[in-house]
Amino acid sequence: MFLINCPYCGERDQSEFSCGGEAHIIRPKQPTELSDDQWAEYLFMRKNIKGVQFERWNHAHGCRKWFNMVRDTKNDKIHAVYKMGEKPPVE
Amino acid sequence: MLNQEYPKFEKGSFEGIEISLSEPNVKINLRGKKKEFFTKIGKILSIILPIEPNTSSSNQQYNTLWLSPDEWLVYFNGEDRQLFNNLFNEISKLNFGSVVDVSNQWICINIKGNKTFDLLSSGSPFNYESFKKTKNSVTQTLLNHTDVIIHHKEINEINLFVRRSFSEDLWLWIKDSARFI
Ligand SMILES: [Zn+2]
Repeated sequence: MFLINCPYCGERDQSEFSCGGEAHIIRPKQPTELSDDQWAEYLFMRKNIKGVQFERWNHAHGCRKWFNMVRDTKNDKIHAVYKMGEKPPVE
Repeated sequence: MLNQEYPKFEKGSFEGIEISLSEPNVKINLRGKKKEFFTKIGKILSIILPIEPNTSSSNQQYNTLWLSPDEWLVYFNGEDRQLFNNLFNEISKLNFGSVVDVSNQWICINIKGNKTFDLLSSGSPFNYESFKKTKNSVTQTLLNHTDVIIHHKEINEINLFVRRSFSEDLWLWIKDSARFI
């Protein structure tokens, strides 16, 4: 159990949130020009870092807003929380 | 076919806790960001929508709860749909925002008594410490694994909104838990 600071509602228990996977993945501009491998790379392949990871989270049982989080997967230490569309903080 | 009847919950009285069904209530979900949206709401409801997170504002008739930066819940006693029609025609139809009648979607349960927050804490991950001291505070959280909206109306009195299909289950849980607080 850990606490997450929702950028809209404030500090809440983790059970109110759901994780939406890796953040800052950019959709290719011309999907039709990609090979199957390139498309699969974009669609399915995700980093699974043991350490600091950039993730999307949703406050599912609260304000239902999406936001980004920098989390250390080793110890669940949250380094930063920032809104959608904002630039990730530089480490 | 939508069942228009409210569930039949009998009042419950326990040590330090009283629970009752608070229906009929009209509930309207509002979403919008545009300037016109706020002006129209202000005109029709004579109320300024709360911008500060986890708060509410009320006047003699209406209660408006903050749900997210662009979403609010309005509720009031009765079954008068005139307000909904006004809001719908002035906002939804003109594309200034969205107005949805959610009266039949949510069930309002009133809980009061000095053990109200002990009861809530027993089944919720939310920290009620500062919430219970602040009148007009609002939160959306989980209670016994069920989504709820809680409006702290008066000190030690809350209106709790739960989705209709979950309401019976939650009601039974509340009644059960209230016996052991
Ligand atoms: Zn939130």
